[in-house]
Amino acid sequence: MSADLHALTELAVRFSALSLVAIGGINAIVPEIHRVVVDVQGWMTSAEFARLFALAQIAPGPNAMVVALVGWKVAGIAGALVATIATCGPSSLACYYAWRWADRLQESRWRAIVQRALAPIAIGLIMASGYTLAQGADRSPGAFALTIAAATALAFTRINPVWLLGVAALAGIAGIA
Amino acid sequence: MTPTDSGAAQARLQAISRTQLFASFLKMGLLGFGGVLPWARRVIVDERRWLSDREFAELIGLCQVLPGPNVVNLAVIVGTRSRGPVGALLAVGALLFVPVGVMLLIAMSYDQVANVPYVRDGIAAASAAAAGLILGTATRLLVQARPPLRGMLTGSAAFVAVGLLHWPLFWVIVVLIAVGVTVEWGASR
Repeated sequence: MSADLHALTELAVRFSALSLVAIGGINAIVPEIHRVVVDVQGWMTSAEFARLFALAQIAPGPNAMVVALVGWKVAGIAGALVATIATCGPSSLACYYAWRWADRLQESRWRAIVQRALAPIAIGLIMASGYTLAQGADRSPGAFALTIAAATALAFTRINPVWLLGVAALAGIAGIA
Repeated sequence: MTPTDSGAAQARLQAISRTQLFASFLKMGLLGFGGVLPWARRVIVDERRWLSDREFAELIGLCQVLPGPNVVNLAVIVGTRSRGPVGALLAVGALLFVPVGVMLLIAMSYDQVANVPYVRDGIAAASAAAAGLILGTATRLLVQARPPLRGMLTGSAAFVAVGLLHWPLFWVIVVLIAVGVTVEWGASR
């Protein structure tokens, strides 16, 4: 029990500290999470960490939920909850206060300038994350074709993405991709 | 959300009920296979029409600059704008905690099912499509938001630096914001 409590405290302290430096999202701190979880604490092997990361990519919910899986591996359900709250809590509070502050600048020219400057950078970063994920996922010509087809359909039609994922999964099962 | 249209977006967001807010973010979290962002854009822009593509792109820009998962920050801001602090809690709670439960169930059974060839092949192919959904979302935002040439340049620089060169995200963001804001300020004079 005390070992569990110790693990939960470690999770809470380590992940809430990382929360506030996760600029650009969870991918920015994955190397640091890996260092803490594998090298410093020895909670799991590097291979186990990679498997949990892949699972978080495919499971529903934000990819950031890899921290919930790490917490679960370390200290069960309580670990998953503690890790999630520790990772999302401090950054969400920071976001809340940042927005309240930005809201007061509503009429300011500066806010419009900053928002117009940020939008294209955000689009470039989303493109980069899609490209990185595609590099990992596209291990065959069929998979590459699925990525292109899904991207094109989503960009230029109003088709529900569920169908795209479902058809892709069936193509995989049928051995086409 | 330039000063002229922020009032209209604010009015649309304030008209969202707590139930709608909760249900919408629940949907994004549950369906967000391979990434929530494509679903967030679809639900917020196409289905509910709370924000335009341009407003969504600007908000996501802010969410990426702030620490923390982008879609969680998006839930905090959309929740706050529609229903205050309670709205933020509802949106984040809906986005996270049910998917966490579902994910843990998958994790617990993963060892038994992951080695079934059908499951493995299906998941691998769906992951390829999921990457395509993210690329498609970026394309859609690009086409709809139509940034001017100066925006195309900072956006391309972000893609090349992070996607192709694998430079540290933090520094790329810091430098590009400095450049982007300076250029945008110059253009607005």
